[in-house]
Amino acid sequence: MKRLAFPLSLTLATLAATTGLAQQSPFDMTPEKPAQESVPAPASPPQTAPSVDDPAQQTTPPQTGAAGAARPAVNAARRYLLSQPDIVLSGENALRSWAMYLTPEQAASPAKLNFGYQNAIVIAPEASRLKLSINGVIIVDTPVESTESVSRAVFDIPAGLLRPGYNDVRIEASQRHRTDCTIQSTYELWSEINPEATYIDFSEPEAGRWQRVDDLRAIGTTPTSETRFNFVVPGADQAISTTPVMRLASGLGLMAEMPNQSFSISRKEAPPAGPGLATVVIGTAGELEPLLGELPPGAEISPTSLVVDDSRFGPSTLVVTGPNWPAVENAVEALITPLKRPTSQRATMSTHTWRMPDPPMVFQYSRLKFSDLGVNTQEFSGRRFRTNFAVSVPSDFFANAYGQATVLLDAAYTPDVMPGSHIDIYVNGNIAATVPITTGGGEFLSHLPIPVTMRHFQPGYNIIELEAVLLTENDNVCAPGATGSTERRFVLFDTSELVMPNFARIAQRPNLSALSGTGSPYGLDEAHIPVIVDRTQPEALSSAATLLARLSIAAGRPISMDASVAPSAIGAQNAISVSTISQVPAGMLRQVGMPESMKTSWTENTGAEAAGANTETTLDEWQTRLRGSSWRGQISSFEEWLQRTFNVSLDTFRIFQGAEPEFVPNPGENFLLAQQQNPTGTGVWTVITAPTARMLEEGMRAMASQPNWREVAGRVTTYNNMSTVIRVTQPQDVALFETQPFSMRNYRRIMANWLSANAVAYSMALVVMSVLLGTATLILLNTLGRKD
Amino acid sequence: MLRFGLFLLWAFLGFCMLVLVTLPISLETQFITGMVVLIAMMILKLLGSEGNLRLIALAFGTAVVLRYAYWRTTSTLPPFNQLENFIPGFLLYLAEMYSVMMLALSLFVVSRPLPPRPSRRNANKRFPTVDVFIPTYNEDADLLANTMAAAKQMEYPADKLTVWLLDDGGTVQKRNSEKIIDANAAEQRFRDLQKLAADLDVRYLTRERNEHAKAGNMNNALDQSEGELIVIFDADHAPARDFLLETVSYFDDDPKLFLVQTPHFFLNPDPVERNLRTFEKMPSENEMFYGIIQRGLDKWDASFFCGSAAVLRRTALAETNGFSGVSITEDCETAVELHSRGWSSLYIDRPLIAGLQPATFASFIGQRSRWAQGMMQILRFRFPPLKRGLSLPQRLCYMSSTLFWLFPFPRAIFLVAPLCYLFFDLQIFTASGGEFMAYTLSYMLVNLMMQNYLYGAFRWPWISELYEYVQTVHLLPAVISVILNPRKPTFKVTAKDESIARSRLSEIAAPFFVIFFVLIIAVFVTIYRVYTEPFKADVTLVVGGWNLLNLIMAGCALGVVSERGEKAATRRVAVSRRCDFKLGDTWLQGTIENVSVNGARVNLIGAIPEGITIDDRAELRFKTHSDGNQGVLPVEIRNVERGGQNVVIGCRYHPEGAAHHKLVADLIFANSAQWTQFQLSRRGNPGLLRGTFWFLRLALYQTYRGLVYLGRAARDRGSDKSASMAESHL
Repeated sequence: MKRLAFPLSLTLATLAATTGLAQQSPFDMTPEKPAQESVPAPASPPQTAPSVDDPAQQTTPPQTGAAGAARPAVNAARRYLLSQPDIVLSGENALRSWAMYLTPEQAASPAKLNFGYQNAIVIAPEASRLKLSINGVIIVDTPVESTESVSRAVFDIPAGLLRPGYNDVRIEASQRHRTDCTIQSTYELWSEINPEATYIDFSEPEAGRWQRVDDLRAIGTTPTSETRFNFVVPGADQAISTTPVMRLASGLGLMAEMPNQSFSISRKEAPPAGPGLATVVIGTAGELEPLLGELPPGAEISPTSLVVDDSRFGPSTLVVTGPNWPAVENAVEALITPLKRPTSQRATMSTHTWRMPDPPMVFQYSRLKFSDLGVNTQEFSGRRFRTNFAVSVPSDFFANAYGQATVLLDAAYTPDVMPGSHIDIYVNGNIAATVPITTGGGEFLSHLPIPVTMRHFQPGYNIIELEAVLLTENDNVCAPGATGSTERRFVLFDTSELVMPNFARIAQRPNLSALSGTGSPYGLDEAHIPVIVDRTQPEALSSAATLLARLSIAAGRPISMDASVAPSAIGAQNAISVSTISQVPAGMLRQVGMPESMKTSWTENTGAEAAGANTETTLDEWQTRLRGSSWRGQISSFEEWLQRTFNVSLDTFRIFQGAEPEFVPNPGENFLLAQQQNPTGTGVWTVITAPTARMLEEGMRAMASQPNWREVAGRVTTYNNMSTVIRVTQPQDVALFETQPFSMRNYRRIMANWLSANAVAYSMALVVMSVLLGTATLILLNTLGRKD
Repeated sequence: MLRFGLFLLWAFLGFCMLVLVTLPISLETQFITGMVVLIAMMILKLLGSEGNLRLIALAFGTAVVLRYAYWRTTSTLPPFNQLENFIPGFLLYLAEMYSVMMLALSLFVVSRPLPPRPSRRNANKRFPTVDVFIPTYNEDADLLANTMAAAKQMEYPADKLTVWLLDDGGTVQKRNSEKIIDANAAEQRFRDLQKLAADLDVRYLTRERNEHAKAGNMNNALDQSEGELIVIFDADHAPARDFLLETVSYFDDDPKLFLVQTPHFFLNPDPVERNLRTFEKMPSENEMFYGIIQRGLDKWDASFFCGSAAVLRRTALAETNGFSGVSITEDCETAVELHSRGWSSLYIDRPLIAGLQPATFASFIGQRSRWAQGMMQILRFRFPPLKRGLSLPQRLCYMSSTLFWLFPFPRAIFLVAPLCYLFFDLQIFTASGGEFMAYTLSYMLVNLMMQNYLYGAFRWPWISELYEYVQTVHLLPAVISVILNPRKPTFKVTAKDESIARSRLSEIAAPFFVIFFVLIIAVFVTIYRVYTEPFKADVTLVVGGWNLLNLIMAGCALGVVSERGEKAATRRVAVSRRCDFKLGDTWLQGTIENVSVNGARVNLIGAIPEGITIDDRAELRFKTHSDGNQGVLPVEIRNVERGGQNVVIGCRYHPEGAAHHKLVADLIFANSAQWTQFQLSRRGNPGLLRGTFWFLRLALYQTYRGLVYLGRAARDRGSDKSASMAESHL
């Protein structure tokens, strides 16, 4: 075992030979397949790991439940490390960190880390390193040299390092090009951590078994970095069952808080549990009796929730039951209660399962130190330095048009750095500030203020990326070995600060980005949001559960909802509808800006053709991203300069908003979220729909995954499952809705933002005011001083 | 009550405007708004720049200026922890805020200038006794003779009018000077002037010691005289005949009136006008002050005493024990004091005197230094903004008048600021190229348009800037010195009778050339940096453009300090008067076409005798306006132009006694209407665009002329040859 901790390269050959292309056959977890009676053990690759001298890897029969003998529990003793797919460390320096929940048994168990990655061929191994640390202790520290295929290695995790609860995982890369010293070349550097080959194996068998409900937090991910709760609800089609099931989904979703989690609801079956998969059985004792191997004791008498090893559903099955549905509901509420958040504002948003640290929630003027935002002092010897941090704003953030945050930068660069270098700041991937370095001879920047436009901020967390592009004479010459030079050029100090101003706060309707960012307006305490879901279709229920869990994470509390409200009784409330297009309650579709005729015209086939239609969208996206970015050439034309500098376009001169045009999906788009004010203007209705039940569930699952969910915005967001393109339609007509107690300052900022977005209105206001003031002055002057 | 309601409404609207302009709106909105306001102002301009639209246009401009001030304050100052940038950056900021504040004050002052009052010529019911004071220090007898003669000829009952010559050049102190030459000169002057005064029926007065300069001189005369009203004329300010008729009657209308001020009209160009040759076409510099600012001050009962061409009430002066002498601008100081005691003043917008102004650039600067230092002293010792007794509008008006003289500081800062960036790479103004376009450019354009709105016909574009720049170079040290030593400056009499025989560089021209060449170097640095540092070319271009503007101004100033040699030092005033002209022994009939203080141009009909040559003596006979009698004035022929039927003769007066001086005065100073006419002929608003092009052409030409003069000066010094520049056509 110790041997394997020696330089990875020694073991590479063997590893490649045994495990080479295993990742090409990942799990096929698609749940829409009809459940089979005898599900074979998932095609997991437990044996593919270098397990020759690892007895824990041997298939061990579970120690309880003879009927489950065929179902190995070992899968649960494996924890895939990555909480999200596509961990690609790109550029010269990169860092990912997140927190991983472990049960007490897992923490106590001896464990080994399996680590697999592949990297770009241009990376110079002698100058590049990849490090993985857990709880601050470096477990993996290797040159980056896996260009041919995924290289795997096993590392011991020192005893006592892991702790029950959350453990910090941190992967860092420092990468240099073999030959090229240009800025462009840094974009060619990447290492991809292989999710399927990177996991912790616990040798203690008990580590694979959950004992308490809280242990569900350790659900982890599948080898494809998904998390799935498989609900078995025999009474799913009963109206009384929906609310408790949805509440349980919200609660479990909030407990696990995995970035890429979804729910699947079935009446009878569940696929076998494993890493990233949990089975939850919920129903009255009477309903569960025929399904479970053994009913938990007391289920017929009182509300019961228990993690059991069931002979049919396997070990670590969560059973929530009671004598009747109200009792089941009590059991659910008892589970959820600890997750409830007091009404007070939260100080941070919870993102730690995929991104550390939790971004602070900013409601008003605040100065945030980089050190508190997870950015450490970093010295850098390459040419393109990058770091990022996140900060959250509330759902009623209304400063996109005028707002300006400030980065007070503490940094220094050496005399090697030539003028022409620059420091850029990106907000959610959009350029927001550029500071040219104009003086040679090195400089110490002490709290240099960099104004950062808030144009690209959105409710919820926002990723702010700081990039320093450093040009040097050495790089121009690019002598052999220059890329690997360790001479420090740039340092960023963690005393730098982000200054968030007081910003305008008022809710906008519709605003799907508030929904995705903070679950607004559905996240309010005890709101009992009517959720209309077609319970005859398990897919619709699954989608609703996935959505509510997602909303709960965004809101930071389980969504308080009521699925028993009839569509006609929604009235003036906030509401959500999850169903196939044909089942959307009457009138709701028109309210959210779509023709009722869509109920028949929007079918599975509408979108079958033409994935190519999205080329344009993609092109647009890229153009937006590249506009104004540094490495693009100077744009000479005045018009483009005007556009770039002032963002002036024909839209700017629009004074009167036209009526909101009806929305019709493009071909190929087969899932959508749409939002609009309700007819009385007292709430917001959100409709989630798709042409078919399968598309609804698939679309919801895709959109609920972390990176996609953040793109939900505007009044309609559509998803194309073929091209995976997400399209946002912005509203033309936005209603503003007060969220804060009246204050002049807030209103001043609201006016500033609204007028900034409506330039002509501002000009006109100024013209009118000038005329009034001029006239008043004229009249006043005629009464003052000497008369003519 | 109604007024209070109106004020509340105005204050409310003003508050709304303030709220609107201080919204932190986006750059894009600012850009569009700036354009919209500019276009609106242009349209209003096309509809007419006078009347009610004027105030609306000014409100537009105010909005943009306020937005600029807000942005400048909140977003452009360099960080405090970069002191090398912050200090110059903050100075520049202060300079700009000073400009904004001065703009606000001028807006207040000239928001609604009073229109000229109707003539009072025939409205006099009572003729109070009047003492006319003509203080003098070192002016020569001829000049004084003209002034005294003109004063004596003013239409007024003779028994109510006493003219006093107050000679400070012949005091006992001067006559007993330790320097024998000075003492003799003073003694001679004492005797000559006494005789001249006696001839003209003017009372000569001098005193023991030269204490408190001009103020002391006049206070001495106050003690000796007893007229109800006091009229002050500078030695070179000769009044028109209707001066008293137009002014005196106001004192009976308002018992609390202490001052009637009239404009100073000048017969000769100031050195800037002379060297740029703009005297005939462009309104003079002081016309902005007398043509519009004094009228604006008058609206607020704040027009102040300008030392001459004014009537004052003795009882008012008695309250302050005569003229105040703490500062070297006793006139304004006296006015502040009396305004604060509840007396009021009045301004009549009609030139009723004609005078001279300094001819050389050096004495021009000397005069301005006195004004600037005096105003600083008033600011220091009287501090009008907080002076008790002044009304709020009066405080603001005096603030505007005194603080104006701080302009050398911002001018100097504007000159140096771009160099900080170009030479030393200091970032004293943190803004991107786009922000500069959206805020600064629109602010500058609006500022120019507002100036044009306010002063269009009186001040052409860029001329204020030129005057301020040419004064700044020498005024800056003067103002600094008075700030450091407020009691040090002493009254110096401005010489106004110098003439420039030959073209030369002014003796104080050197700094202008140094500045010019430094700015030229900065232009090369700009070009160099644009090419070597393309990543900040936008900022470099903006700063370079600013520097170029300074360079244009500095180039134009080279022309200002290149003194043209000129024969006719004074302005000729067109007249049309029948006369007879005696050549040899024959009297020819003719018309006097124009006159100046030195001579006249006569158009004669009929054959003139042969053998007339330059320098020949002749006689000019005409009927005087004052008493209708014929008078004969000896002249000297200076040139002769023969036409077909007629001959035009230019001649110079040769006055030999008091009677002759009266005739000269009658010729030139009899009719004030002709001066008004001349002023009106120069007024006209060329507009911003045409004015700018005109100025650009002027500046280019003057730069060239300045450099040619410099070349000649260098050559002259080098070879020590006195190559005459008198013939220069430049």
